[in-house]
Amino acid sequence: MSPVAQTSTSAGTFALQLEIDSDTLASCVACGMCLPHCPTYRVTGEESASPRGRIALMRDVAERGEADAAFVEFMDACIQCRGCETACPAGVQYGHMMEVTREALASQTHYQPRLRRLAYRALGMPRLLGAGSRLLALAQRLGVLGAARLLSRIGRFRSLGTAVGALPRVPLRQRRLVPSGNDVWLFTGCVMDAWMRDTHRAVQSVIEATGAGVALPPPRAACCGSLHTHAGLGTDARRLARRVIAALPGDAPILVDSAGCGAAMKEYGHLLGTPEAHRFAERVHDVHEWLAARVDLLPAGAPIALDIGGPVTGGPVTGDAAQRPRVAVQDPCHLRHVQQAHLPVRAVLDRYVDVVELDDDGLCCGAGGAYSQQHPDIANAVRERKVAAIERSGAGVVASANPGCSLHLRAAGLDARHPLEIVAEHLSGDGGAGV
Amino acid sequence: MVPEADTAADAALLGDLRGVVGDRARDNDFERGLYSRDGSIEGSLPAIVCLPETAAEVAEIVGVCRRHSRPFLARGSGTGLAGGAVPVGRPVVVATAKMDRIIEVDVDNRVAWVEPGVLNLDLSRALTPLGFHFAPDPSSQQVCSLGGNIANNSGGPHCLAYGVTTAHIAALEVVLPSGETTMLGGVDAEPPGLDLRGLFVGSEGTMGIATKAAVRLTPNAPSVRTLLLDFDDVSEGSAAVSAIIAAGLVPSALEMMDQRAIEIVEAFAHAGYPTEAAAVLLVELDGLPGGVSAGVEIIREVAEQYHAGHVRVAADDAERALLWKGRKNAFGAVARIKPDYYLHDTVVPRSRLTEVLDQVYRIADAYDLIAVNVFHAGDGNLHPILAFDRREPGVDERVKAAGRDIVAASIAAGGVLSGEHGIGLEKRDYMGMLFSAHDMYTQDLVRETFDPDGFANPLKVIPSGSRCSDSFHQHVPEGAWV
Repeated sequence: MSPVAQTSTSAGTFALQLEIDSDTLASCVACGMCLPHCPTYRVTGEESASPRGRIALMRDVAERGEADAAFVEFMDACIQCRGCETACPAGVQYGHMMEVTREALASQTHYQPRLRRLAYRALGMPRLLGAGSRLLALAQRLGVLGAARLLSRIGRFRSLGTAVGALPRVPLRQRRLVPSGNDVWLFTGCVMDAWMRDTHRAVQSVIEATGAGVALPPPRAACCGSLHTHAGLGTDARRLARRVIAALPGDAPILVDSAGCGAAMKEYGHLLGTPEAHRFAERVHDVHEWLAARVDLLPAGAPIALDIGGPVTGGPVTGDAAQRPRVAVQDPCHLRHVQQAHLPVRAVLDRYVDVVELDDDGLCCGAGGAYSQQHPDIANAVRERKVAAIERSGAGVVASANPGCSLHLRAAGLDARHPLEIVAEHLSGDGGAGV
Repeated sequence: MVPEADTAADAALLGDLRGVVGDRARDNDFERGLYSRDGSIEGSLPAIVCLPETAAEVAEIVGVCRRHSRPFLARGSGTGLAGGAVPVGRPVVVATAKMDRIIEVDVDNRVAWVEPGVLNLDLSRALTPLGFHFAPDPSSQQVCSLGGNIANNSGGPHCLAYGVTTAHIAALEVVLPSGETTMLGGVDAEPPGLDLRGLFVGSEGTMGIATKAAVRLTPNAPSVRTLLLDFDDVSEGSAAVSAIIAAGLVPSALEMMDQRAIEIVEAFAHAGYPTEAAAVLLVELDGLPGGVSAGVEIIREVAEQYHAGHVRVAADDAERALLWKGRKNAFGAVARIKPDYYLHDTVVPRSRLTEVLDQVYRIADAYDLIAVNVFHAGDGNLHPILAFDRREPGVDERVKAAGRDIVAASIAAGGVLSGEHGIGLEKRDYMGMLFSAHDMYTQDLVRETFDPDGFANPLKVIPSGSRCSDSFHQHVPEGAWV
């Protein structure tokens, strides 16, 4: 199986204006240090699936003003994890180059088909998303998703059908979150609020345990636009960003418990280029960053073991250490490589559990927002490496501060939880309950 | 040999290669472009790129190439700095990146059998739980492949004490240019016959393609200390290098960086390198704890004697890793000054380091280029980097001329052409500066024994005028060829 295109012909070319300035394109010296940190290169061993290769292709297309289907496929196969940026000795801004490329493709070609554009747009409509999610939940329970498999056989619905068939189990009913003050905003987002509100509930309880009151955003702040940026739908992304900024006024810090959303919101300044957007971005924090600075305010952990269904051994059995469960930390790429905020997760978790590091240099897990739905073959091959690293660690539970990564890892049978769900269990004394 | 594009011949060749590797034989313009370069500044389009997954496929690919009289060239991670993996003469590129299995770790014999696409650092990481590592550690260690290390007989900071790649390869399964597969060397202490393994290591792909290797495992040292010494004066730094060796120490690594290098490395690594210093020495000692502690004291004495500003001893593994992260990413980090770099690799006698460094700066000034120096000081292996922007008109010629002058200066000081990066394309035409025509003729005879028709990585290493030369304008040094 080869996930990248095999041939292109000169007949199939089309015009493409790629507006990346030549200094930016020239900033890559092709040293190759990014290759081992690129998940798609790791599983394919192909230059066309590497950051160095993709930049060379962008340079080529920018110079020639035309591209072909192979180029689209090579660009589309990037997970946009930005692990290459952390590894790059030259500080090449690969992520932004890829965003410009995707936006050029989306605005000048049929890169994003109409159905998919509509699906992205629905993310910014909480009521529609909620209703759709309930319908999906119902369909999942009634077992009618066989229809999706049928859909996936019809050419133009193939990607939609495959995506729907691969979705995680969605809750039928969710309790409302109740605001408790105005000290901080807790950003709730789109899909995460529709499918994983209990994670927000756990996060809120941990924030409140520090004595802070939590404000909840109005429906207008329903979606950060990160998936839109990654899909090249820049106009939609900028519209959503402006909406979020307008919906969260004041000076209160904005805490985000989804690494992907947090990374996107911290880049609003770059996305919109206005002073207001830059000021807003300054207020955005990953919730672990904010908590790590206040970790002393959190109650000490009760010496109880999580029901982790795996070995709790690994150290001398003395005192509390024997009781502390071992939790592997999976760093979401947009927390580690974009926000550089992966260490605070450890600072918070370390108070309650034995943090176990993975030995894979923070390589992507393959989730990539909507990527795992759109490129299941590569996403699963990438995930196999992560699953192997987690198994080598010997930890029974893996903490992931991004909902997309959690879902992707759970689909491989792992016990993946949000770090603050683990903390919340300790705070409530409910350490044995599991998720 | 098909120097010019021959569509019909390429199509027939592609058909046969598809029969071996299916859609892993590529001829689209994009991908041929991606495999046209390595980490050097040269480039040339291959006819076809093949991505084999097994040794059997490699042998079949070579067989197909023979039937079509088409040269071939092995490529690992494409990080080489001398153009060794640049496909000249429209060859078939055989990219081994998909062959990345560690087949077996044999602790009893202290070897691991690996495929050529295994990354150097991946192997050492996999060996860590067993208490071993693979000793050669090029700066590109995290990405370079073992196949590439074998081809170039690669070095690295820790080769000062442990020896370069050839000291760590016990046996090699190779596909010869004839298409036959054979085993060179062996895991036994003294394999019988000529050391053909030793001949193959460092032959830069001109004698065939390694498809499997038995690499030696080196036990991890019980104690490691890493020190950083800074100097106000480059010459005192290089004098300290000689003094450390003269004091009887063989540090596992002894690296030097000049001020420009320190600045760019610090901007990337944030390791606390002293950006105001004229030069720093990065010294690593390993071994039994008592010996290491004694070594640290000797280095402190040398530091004092040569007026080092500070002696920073890394407190823990994290600090050590940070210091090395800076050193090992220095080349790529040069892009922070200019988008292109030309990295040289010469060796000079340690005692003449200061003098040759001075010349390097003068040569760079004369050609209006920026020189950055990061190098393996312990074995006198210089790595002058010329930073430039290839979009400036005429800069290519200045860079190449400066490079040639640097090589000439090194050789005049009693040095050699290359320490570890290989000759490849970049230094092929400088061979005559070091070797006589007779030397080169003899080297070519050896190569011809393996590859009589010149199919394996043609036009590399030896400036041959007799074959394969039409597609590439080369400058044979006067009188170099008989």
